[in-house]
Amino acid sequence: MKKLINRVGLNGHALKFDLKMRLTLLLLFISLFRIEASSYSQNIRVSVDLEHVTVEEFFRTVESMTSYRFLYNHRDVNVSRIINVYASKEPLSGVLKKVFGDTDISYKVVDHQIVLNTLSPVEKTDDNGKLQKKLITGTVRDKNGMPLLGVTVLIKGTQQGTTTDEDGKFSIAAEEDDVLVFSYIGFLSREIQVEAEQEINIRLIEQTNELGEVTVTGYQTISSERTTGAFTKLKSEDFKSQRLNSLDAVLAGRIVGYQDGVIRGVTSMNGLTTPLYVIDGFPVEKTRYNENYGLEENLPDLNIEDIESITVLKDAAAASIYGARAANGVVVITTKKAKAGETNISFSSNLTVSPYRFYTGNLTNSADIIALEREWALGNPNLGGTDGTSASYASSLLENAVYGSQGMQALLHYYAGNITESELNGTLDQLGTAGYRYYDDIARHAKRDQYYQQYNVSFGKASQKNSFNASVTYKNNTFEDRYSEENSLGINLKNSTKITDWLDMDLGAYIHFNNEDLQTFDPLNPGFVYQPYNRLVNADDSPFVSTAASRYNRSTLQSIDTYNLYSMDIVPMDELGRNLKKHKNFLSRTYAKFNVKLSDAFSYNAMFQYEYGVERISQLKDKNSYAVRQRVNGLVTLSSANNAVFNLPYGDISFRGDQYTNAYNFRQQINFDKFFEDIHQVSVIAGTELRHSKLEYSDYTRYGYDSQTLTYTPVNQADLLQAYGSVFGGYMSQNDFSVERELLNRYFSVYGNAGYTYDGKYNITGSLRWDRSNLWGTDNKYQNRPTWSAGAGWNIHNESFFSYSRVDMLKLRFSYGIGGNVAKNSAPYLTAYYNSNNNVGGVQGSINSRPNPQLSWEKTTTANLGIDFALFNNRLNGTIDVYNKKGEDLLANSMGVPTEGWGYSTYTLNNGEMTNKGIEISLSGSILSTEDFSWNAGILYAYNKNKVNYVNVEAPVYYLQLDYPSAYPRVGKNFNSIYGYSWAGLSSTGLPQVYDADGQAVSSNPADLEAIEDFGTTVPVQSGSFNTSVSYKNFSLSALFIYELGHKIRNTFLPMFGNSYSGASGGYIANIRPGNKRIRDRWINPGDEAHTDVPRVVYEYDTEYSYDLQSIYSYADVNILNASNLRLSNVSLAYQTSALAPRLGIENVRINFNVENVFTVAANRDVKYLLGGYRTPNFVLGLHVNL
Amino acid sequence: MKKLYTTILYLSLVVLGFSSCNDYLDDIPKGSRIPQTLADFEALIRDEYTNHRVDIRQAEILLNDRFITEATLSFYPLDKANYLWDESADRIALNRSDEATYYTGYAGISTFNLIVENALSSTEASEAEQRELWAQAKVLRAMSYFNLVNYYADTYEAGNAADKRSVPLITSADINAPSSQVSILELYDFIVGDIEEAIPYLPRVSQTVLHPDLGTGYALLSRVYLQMANYGEALNYADMALDEHDDLYDWTAYYNDNKAVIEDPDAYVTTPSPMGFDYVENYNFRHGSLSRIATENNILTDRADRFEPGDARFLSRWKVRTVGAETFYNSTLSGYFNYGGITTVEVYLIKAECLARTGQTGNAMDMLNRVRKTRILPDVYQDLEATGEAGAIEAIMNTKRNELILTIIPFCDARRLNAEGIYTVGFTKTYNGESYALTPDSHLWTMPFPQGATDNPGNGTIVQNVNK
Repeated sequence: MKKLINRVGLNGHALKFDLKMRLTLLLLFISLFRIEASSYSQNIRVSVDLEHVTVEEFFRTVESMTSYRFLYNHRDVNVSRIINVYASKEPLSGVLKKVFGDTDISYKVVDHQIVLNTLSPVEKTDDNGKLQKKLITGTVRDKNGMPLLGVTVLIKGTQQGTTTDEDGKFSIAAEEDDVLVFSYIGFLSREIQVEAEQEINIRLIEQTNELGEVTVTGYQTISSERTTGAFTKLKSEDFKSQRLNSLDAVLAGRIVGYQDGVIRGVTSMNGLTTPLYVIDGFPVEKTRYNENYGLEENLPDLNIEDIESITVLKDAAAASIYGARAANGVVVITTKKAKAGETNISFSSNLTVSPYRFYTGNLTNSADIIALEREWALGNPNLGGTDGTSASYASSLLENAVYGSQGMQALLHYYAGNITESELNGTLDQLGTAGYRYYDDIARHAKRDQYYQQYNVSFGKASQKNSFNASVTYKNNTFEDRYSEENSLGINLKNSTKITDWLDMDLGAYIHFNNEDLQTFDPLNPGFVYQPYNRLVNADDSPFVSTAASRYNRSTLQSIDTYNLYSMDIVPMDELGRNLKKHKNFLSRTYAKFNVKLSDAFSYNAMFQYEYGVERISQLKDKNSYAVRQRVNGLVTLSSANNAVFNLPYGDISFRGDQYTNAYNFRQQINFDKFFEDIHQVSVIAGTELRHSKLEYSDYTRYGYDSQTLTYTPVNQADLLQAYGSVFGGYMSQNDFSVERELLNRYFSVYGNAGYTYDGKYNITGSLRWDRSNLWGTDNKYQNRPTWSAGAGWNIHNESFFSYSRVDMLKLRFSYGIGGNVAKNSAPYLTAYYNSNNNVGGVQGSINSRPNPQLSWEKTTTANLGIDFALFNNRLNGTIDVYNKKGEDLLANSMGVPTEGWGYSTYTLNNGEMTNKGIEISLSGSILSTEDFSWNAGILYAYNKNKVNYVNVEAPVYYLQLDYPSAYPRVGKNFNSIYGYSWAGLSSTGLPQVYDADGQAVSSNPADLEAIEDFGTTVPVQSGSFNTSVSYKNFSLSALFIYELGHKIRNTFLPMFGNSYSGASGGYIANIRPGNKRIRDRWINPGDEAHTDVPRVVYEYDTEYSYDLQSIYSYADVNILNASNLRLSNVSLAYQTSALAPRLGIENVRINFNVENVFTVAANRDVKYLLGGYRTPNFVLGLHVNL
Repeated sequence: MKKLYTTILYLSLVVLGFSSCNDYLDDIPKGSRIPQTLADFEALIRDEYTNHRVDIRQAEILLNDRFITEATLSFYPLDKANYLWDESADRIALNRSDEATYYTGYAGISTFNLIVENALSSTEASEAEQRELWAQAKVLRAMSYFNLVNYYADTYEAGNAADKRSVPLITSADINAPSSQVSILELYDFIVGDIEEAIPYLPRVSQTVLHPDLGTGYALLSRVYLQMANYGEALNYADMALDEHDDLYDWTAYYNDNKAVIEDPDAYVTTPSPMGFDYVENYNFRHGSLSRIATENNILTDRADRFEPGDARFLSRWKVRTVGAETFYNSTLSGYFNYGGITTVEVYLIKAECLARTGQTGNAMDMLNRVRKTRILPDVYQDLEATGEAGAIEAIMNTKRNELILTIIPFCDARRLNAEGIYTVGFTKTYNGESYALTPDSHLWTMPFPQGATDNPGNGTIVQNVNK
């Protein structure tokens, strides 16, 4: 019997070897031997113990243990010779010597090949005396004439072969008509037929300038040198210093032209603006209904640690193969695949802390509010009288509960004669010193620091014929709301098998589970009026109670009492943990891909992916919660005997929502790839694709629910829909019982793509695709228009005349073509939706869309000119792209014509045009590089200018221009413009003023399109990032700065009170609420207008009080701010070592400490606040271990 | 290998099969339907939100039939101009956006146009059923046009109706359908024509109260003829309408049923509105500005004073209240209110007026007292009597203004009476120490079109009928 114990280890890694041996023993029972090594070297040591085996069996053993392959001629090597081999951690060469020492076989280890040759090749003749075999010799060089060492030369269809020596020379015995295959890692293989010539000298062409650099489009993988489009590629290495928690965090600042989730600017007015995400060849869209039953696009779920590379396709040549969804760019993600011979186990974890802070630096404090409340009372003409009208006025306001804040109530109690002046002052002074007490209380009692934990374990193993990967990511996040938390588990499995020589099969599955609890009670919107001086927890530690008496008028309070209604008190501390919304999500994606090699040039792919997702939302509204008490009381009506009728049963309310998605994608493709006569390289693909995605939403609400017995109280929906609460005016709508929605999108597409490369220098590419979809019109004229692209590339560095040694790569490329885009919920028909009428019975119908038979996909034509270069031994790499992206047939809004009955509606027509012109530059360089020290830096710069070229609607009314600028873009302006009035300063009475169309300063709304101007764009004109990393020995420090320049933001945090309708007073009142503390600088006395822009506070009793004041102030350009900013997005300090390897069997360990969102620099405090610049940084501690 | 090729070929053929592909892609999004059958079109009439909101905000404000706080007045300058009868105000400039009166008025007209255009070719219906729906849509369309022309154009006067512009007349639901701002006469002819064409096909009993029945047709025609000062035809159709349906609601009984709440001066809880879909006085039902369940507008103390003492309907609807510096009458009914449709009480009062105008004073007062008996509490009720036309008309109009408050009718009546010049309507008041007056011949009685409509007129033009 043979006894096999095979062990392979790296030099000196004895401990690792021993540790792994235990594993080996386990696995022995399964496979008898195992491969194990994560890298190889010439000095590999082998342990074998073989008795009485043939040489062939010895070969097989070594081949299965290692990635080495034997190359030999059957005629030369007697493989059935019986041998005994014993070696314990001996170098491979020593083992080979033991086997072949006594024979005439020479052995040579070149790269991963062990080449066996006879020492004296004998030329044999056949019966006719003709040379049956001749010795072919030659040299293999690269394109620059440098000899290549270790090129495998194999007679096709056999295992006979050799390799080249250091001079690139080889010799091999071959027959005429044999085909010699020359292959070398990183180079394109070549095949040469043996003819009369005995000398064959050839050159091999590198696959790419950088070893193994390929571009993955999702439909094909081609060498980057052959592409003509604008691709940006990220490898996992590029973002390892980043916490891998979201795709957006990975892309932001690393993809030039990617900004705020959008690539190269917004090209659509109504359709989608988000790029298409493609994972391992399949488009993955995560479209969901949101809480308001609107559609939302989300980033796809995946285990981010599994990402091997991300390729962003930006221009037509790159993306138009994606047809109707290509216009916004495509993000192609490939996940890791274990390489032959490797076993990889890695573990990573990180812990992130984001301390809670409510930024009060620009907020009014208690003293400000008290001062304003006093100002309200002082200026109120109804409180000036001494004839008793003041007292009755104040009493009436109290009785009707018009003002809910403690300060206002104290003031009114004083004027009503309930408290003395000193009591009033005492109360107000005390409240005024409270600072930001309410926010402090929230921080202390209702919020917490956020913790995010993330763990990932990945396993990869591959042999020559099979490659398997598995990864598990677990996340556990606790959010600032005390009852909000989330955990998720993502499992990714992937297997590739070579079933036969001509058939490969890939199977993959991704499963994602997610559980989330969301707190629904927001202490910043607690259901009562609070000021900074309010409390959540009283001084004596009892919870603060907002009593019904402090909020409701006398009649209502009396009714609560008379009719025995449920308490209307609010105890915020009790409400926090009630009525949590629980989400439970499940998502799975499974795919199968087959690749059939039909001949050397032709292959056929078929691939199918199925996605299934379930999202469940459940919310059990506790009967003790304010929400339920308010709901039940709200629907109380009175019987004729003047008793309360509780129309809604008192008890828990159960809300359940379910969202199902299913999607499939089936694609078949024929590929042709051939290299003719050493210089013509042609690749063509053609295929068909079928896509289906369906989204179903339904929810239902049950009342009087008992979660223990799982029972509920039936309610009479028809009657409830007729009920209007007698005390609180509550009523219900059908959505309070049940809602259903469905979205079905289907596409069928035919596509093709061809590329031709001449001599590695000139590339031309073209693509063509037809899409048909159920989204679009019935008019075939629009359906049958294809998307297409054409591109050309010139690899200048491959030209013989080009001989600048400092330039390693220089490529020029140009592309032109059309991509499409869709709006998912458009339809060409006159459609009506139907639902039941609760008032008169039967079914009611409403027209929801008027016929739009000419609906089609939007088309975006992109021209792109790019240069790629690498200089100084690849130490400086860069890409420059210039593009012109022109959108046509964009779905533009038209305001419905009021006389046609559609005055409140907009409808969409394919009639808009806009362009995005831009430049993108990315540079990365290695500034210093020594053995211990290196310094790298990179800079990204993108310039994008958007312009609306054509749209045939003008905002019919001024306010639509202001409120819906993107619905009424102006020709010649930026699509993302902010429109507003020109600020004219304060009037002599402190009122805000703007210029009307005639240039007059007015304090009323000019209400005129002519007065409305464009004040810049909300989207950065220039954006990009700067990153740098320094490493010294095992330490590295890196930083990522992100900048955005040249855009504007409207200030929504105004030093002015809003106004709202007060049911209690039956009219509008000014809301004295916490706001921008610049209100301290408000106009107070005549003359103040010379040095302040903050208007006077105009209270509701003021004769100047008007709706217009707030609207012109908020629309004036004084509140349109420069939004340019610079952020230090991430700083990472990492320590990496392999020193633990020998002792712990750990190949390498990386520990990193990151600070995210370190700081923001902006034009002023308001801008910084609006941009979220006062959020606290996140602190991340991460560990990454490779076994 | 060969077998594999064949398999691939078959697979490709299946996927490439374009005929099946069309079916695959011919999928109408769920949640909606292309209306085709009669039922599909008939259901459109039940859409109250789109088709049955009759908003007449500025007319109510001009008549001071709704209370507005001082703060809200300065908040909305157009409200203020009409509320304080400010003849100098440029109401065209102040009406600078949308206005529900116009927008929802034409939204209903668009639906009725769609039905008129398609009902006769709708499927799954008999010809009689098709005609019935067609006729109902015509009546509703006429009703909407009547409101619009009496709001945005001068009132009908036989002498000049042919010379004055009315409102845009549009008769198609198509995108970019043409409209024409025809003369007042043409529009009235259109309205009368539509109703007359419809009457032969209207059912005695309709599907729902939203669908006009024969009584609605007669009552509407009576309302239109009254507005045209054609008292003979108005009386004729009023009689025909009352033959169909003449119930009056007993408000004194409602008062007694809800006495505990109504008479408690501190209780502002609401009692259910009886004026909803099943109100016995309904011919047809249309909402006011809100189609959802709601309470009524609050009214001014001055306005409350003009109700008859012991008016149970008034007492059931409003109760005095003071908030801060302002005192007003707070609404105490909640539910639905038929402000936009036609009720029997209106037809009774049309008939009363027509009788008074044709010298039948006694019969006129009988009609009026029949109404009052159901309204005025028995302990204060007394029959009203009048000797001449003027006295009768004054009594009738007083009751009509109160009975139909918050509908467009008091506004229409005032315009008609002012145009006639005999029983003119005007107001004076003191507000914050200043005196104000609304004269019978003020331009304020005609409302300006909203800027949203004039700036975006579609396939037609719109010219204002009032200078400011």
